[in-house]
Amino acid sequence: MGIAVDGLRQAMEEVLGSGGPYLVINLHEVPMIDSSGIGLLVKFLTLAKERGGNIKLLNPSKFAIQTLKLVGVLNLFEVVDDEEKAVASFR
Amino acid sequence: MAGESTFDGASSERRELLNVDLPATADAVADVSDKVAAILLDLGIPEEKQLEISLALQEALANAVVHGCGNDSSKKVRCRLDGDKQGRILIIVSDPGPGMEVNPTLVPKLSPNLYQDHGRGIYLIRRLMDDVKFERGGSEIHMWKY
Repeated sequence: MGIAVDGLRQAMEEVLGSGGPYLVINLHEVPMIDSSGIGLLVKFLTLAKERGGNIKLLNPSKFAIQTLKLVGVLNLFEVVDDEEKAVASFR
Repeated sequence: MAGESTFDGASSERRELLNVDLPATADAVADVSDKVAAILLDLGIPEEKQLEISLALQEALANAVVHGCGNDSSKKVRCRLDGDKQGRILIIVSDPGPGMEVNPTLVPKLSPNLYQDHGRGIYLIRRLMDDVKFERGGSEIHMWKY
């Protein structure tokens, strides 16, 4: 909850609102993801896929990966460690 | 207080590390979360355990703010943190709400819950902590990490 989740929501709404269904979300500086953040990621993944797109997670922390795995959504996302390659894969 | 028998044997060593009333706002949740993280660090608790406790605390506080207080910043959430010499932690979060019915069988990772954008908080707390109990009709959560 709070500013971090609000910021993520706003950023994803802007990207998807502008017609771009492809997102690479850099989680490098995110030590943990709470359930509201996870809910947001899943919600926007669904929206992106409905538009033929996808969301990739860049460099999530070990704990963020564990958390996503705990609630069973890790496999919904492609986890990547190279931003340029991730962006290029969408072209 | 119900549930604290889990700390039996160490109860005499257990001490209160934090006991605060916070307004039901996201900023106050962040502030208390930072304070608890600093206390856990001072106690020398391993990093992974710190992260698990911190995330469970954030989930409990967020539930209290959103569901217990209806995001009404004039309402207060109480947060208490106890610890003992063995590094065992008890967190109690309570709110003034009517409580809630907790469904212990809800598994968000199973279809059709998988793609829901909510409903993972309590499940996460149960997975991150070692023992979890609800009191006062669900308006108070007791969470232990050993």
